[in-house]
Amino acid sequence: MNTDTIYPKVREIIADVLAFEESEIQRDGSLVDDYSAESIDFLDLVYQLEREFKIKVPRGMIEQEARRGLSEDFEEHGRLTDKGLEHLKTYLSEVPEDRFTPRMQVSLIPTLFTPETFCKIVLREMEGGEQAASG
Amino acid sequence: MFHFVDQILELDPGRHALGVKHVTPGDAFVRPNADGVPTLLSCIIGEALGQLGAWSVMAAKDFVVRPVAGVVGEVAITGEAAVGDSVLLDTTIDSVTDDAVFYHAAASVDGATVLKLENALGPLLPMDQFNDPEEVRERFARIHRSRDLTEAPQTGEGATVPFDLSFDEMLSFEGGKEATAVRTLSGREAFLADHFPRKPVLPLSLLLESLLQLGQKLLEGGDSRYVPTGARKVKMSRFVEPGNPLVAKVRVAERSAENALLKFRCEVDGDRVCVGQAEYSRVLGESR
Repeated sequence: MNTDTIYPKVREIIADVLAFEESEIQRDGSLVDDYSAESIDFLDLVYQLEREFKIKVPRGMIEQEARRGLSEDFEEHGRLTDKGLEHLKTYLSEVPEDRFTPRMQVSLIPTLFTPETFCKIVLREMEGGEQAASG
Repeated sequence: MFHFVDQILELDPGRHALGVKHVTPGDAFVRPNADGVPTLLSCIIGEALGQLGAWSVMAAKDFVVRPVAGVVGEVAITGEAAVGDSVLLDTTIDSVTDDAVFYHAAASVDGATVLKLENALGPLLPMDQFNDPEEVRERFARIHRSRDLTEAPQTGEGATVPFDLSFDEMLSFEGGKEATAVRTLSGREAFLADHFPRKPVLPLSLLLESLLQLGQKLLEGGDSRYVPTGARKVKMSRFVEPGNPLVAKVRVAERSAENALLKFRCEVDGDRVCVGQAEYSRVLGESR
């Protein structure tokens, strides 16, 4: 299974949660910048995905996973280090490169999330939460 | 007063709770129904269920956090609660995380379900931003009293001014199709004192009730009328504070001989604050 298999359902849920038409959802769009997602929408979205795919997404998982193996050097005073930024780019490989900014605030990482990011999360949890979210 | 759990009868904190709400004559949220019988606004029954869930979670989290309204997947209105009735509230928490509570609930009068909430989600936020935690603990101690059901108060708490559900101004109105209306809280509304003492904001329940009624106006006409039977996918994404001009747009999305589905979207300064759908059922031969 790959993310293509689950994308149609994920897109449907995202459109529903964010009150957009499915046709307006781009797979690499930013949920925050392009579809005005608020924090309640992320809670809602994860909940709907959990119900649909019968998975459990640990809270704060994305950030924890992104830091894996880099617990020391990932951030400094709430901002990404150069190392942290490179690590995050690899982890969120589906996000277009130009959306990452040097020394970006860790709290703004969710602004990078795209529908594909959520496909990867769902897929990983469906496959037992063991495989890395690469590709 | 914007507290609707008169007594908590049973409590398994963070899991399940049973409570009661007595419907009294002086209640600011009682209105005559189509037959002239004074009944409690449906959305206030929903609010009472949410508040019972809140007590359950707050007790489980030692009153450090409190839930606020977030998402309600489905509201089903199946009956009414009239003055003199005692509404039994039954709220089950499906899960609690660090940042949210997920629950479902049902309210009944004399064994018959009057309102159900499904797939509800409330974000958990620091209690001290909204309430004095000590006051909340004290209220909890007052209402959490064993299985002995208390009598309803003899009168309401004075003659409260009924809450005004109308919008300040209709910006556009096309019967059977779409309406846009605006409302700005003045800050003097009585419910703001309780919702919440440290952060007065418009309760989702009252907003939804206003929207259901606006939708009902939109559907008026001919020899039939439509009554609200519920709502779906209702989501509050931002707080609405006094002074915020809330612009509500309600649109008839589907309409058949029996039912109607309306979609609504509310914004403040162009930002989405609440979206959802309202459902109605047609009642024949009862034009007013």
